[in-house]
Amino acid sequence: MAMIEVKNVTKQFGDLTVLDNFSVDFDHSGVTVLIGPSGTGKSTLLRCINGLEKIDEGDILVDGLSVNNKKNLKQIRKTCGMVFQQTVIFPHMNVLDNLTMSPIKLLRMSKAEAEDKARYYLDKVGLASKEKSRHNELSGGEQQRIAIARALMMSPEALLLDEITSALDPEMTREVLNILVNLAKEGVCMLCVTHEMSFAKEVASRILFMEGGKLVCDVSKDDFFGSVREENERINKFLSFIGE
Amino acid sequence: MQDVHTIGKYADFAVGDIRTFAEACGVTLSVTLLSLLIGTVIGIIFGLIRCSKNKLIRFLPLIIMEPLRNSPLVVQLFLVYYGLPVMAGILLKDYTAAIITLSLNTAAFFGVLVHNSILAIPVSQWEAGYALGHGKFSTFINVIARQALRLLIPQAITLYIGQLQCSSIVSLISLRDITRVGQLLSVRTMRPFAVWGIVFGLYYLVSFPLARLADYLAKRIDYTY
Repeated sequence: MAMIEVKNVTKQFGDLTVLDNFSVDFDHSGVTVLIGPSGTGKSTLLRCINGLEKIDEGDILVDGLSVNNKKNLKQIRKTCGMVFQQTVIFPHMNVLDNLTMSPIKLLRMSKAEAEDKARYYLDKVGLASKEKSRHNELSGGEQQRIAIARALMMSPEALLLDEITSALDPEMTREVLNILVNLAKEGVCMLCVTHEMSFAKEVASRILFMEGGKLVCDVSKDDFFGSVREENERINKFLSFIGE
Repeated sequence: MQDVHTIGKYADFAVGDIRTFAEACGVTLSVTLLSLLIGTVIGIIFGLIRCSKNKLIRFLPLIIMEPLRNSPLVVQLFLVYYGLPVMAGILLKDYTAAIITLSLNTAAFFGVLVHNSILAIPVSQWEAGYALGHGKFSTFINVIARQALRLLIPQAITLYIGQLQCSSIVSLISLRDITRVGQLLSVRTMRPFAVWGIVFGLYYLVSFPLARLADYLAKRIDYTY
């Protein structure tokens, strides 16, 4: 059974149909990259999987639990950690507390255990020295790395990453992508919305191209940058536009 | 016929006036603190109800809050003190009427502060809490309320200072607070500048440190999202 099953999902904002009878499955492993023009429903799909947007029709099952049932949402969100486009560090607490608060409150982890785990992940994202820092002492890239570490603290089965480098300059983007590349190499399952094709080429196992709320293609990385690009004029044009 | 010097001696400041002022300070502080406490609790309830997603529930506190925010405090006091006995046969002591009026007035304004402080926290903070697996209540307690509280405190102190000063209207129903004692002593001693100077100083002594505290706290809050 797939970890995430998206079944005939339709999502509308007013008259605008953002996801149109959309279906796709995601397994427990690998890095899937969602690409496509802005406004095609990529971020909405991730938000629907995480239960942050209510779907109008269809269903999404995460480990067999439906997002349409509110009672499942806590468990679904523990299964699928999410990092957002804008940096969302809790400004009223320092970095260490940002990381430990949820495991202590929700997983009943002891403070010492949570802090040990937090230090492990801070080291992993290269910010071991920043545990006492507050949000205004961190760069945008550092804040995103903290957000990734915070999501990993809940030991999710998959990470949903919603254009997490789009608000960062190239240097910070590289910092964050390096972290993701390392996580991918360690086998962390990821679902990424991104326009960073170099990242997709480096770590993606599967690429989904979306347009108009529909799935245009769902292929392996090699096929996408090889035969699909050559054969599909629309995808070739899109990749050319973003400098690929 | 009384000797003019005797009148002068009687009318001048006496040692007992210090005690009178001390008692008046007690009345002013007890009326203010008690009504602020009650008003804050009711205001928090109003503010939280105002955050409801249900339009009808969200509207309910406005039935009380809006009239209280849009009418003079002195009118509200007269309505409670003089109006209730006539309309409902409820006879209130001056102290009780003062507490009820100031509490409800504080609650109306405090409710707005609570509501606005919660609304000021970006939706992304709620979503970050949800995405980590927190429910609505847990996100509110652990993420939103703590940030909202820091926004609320300086504004609340400013409101408290205003309400302390507004408490002087209880003198109009003859409650012997600082202002009322000032009126009585001013008439008796015929030294308005000295008496009202003392009254001014007493209010200032309590208000000024609070105002500085509000400024200090407001400067310390540095949230950029």
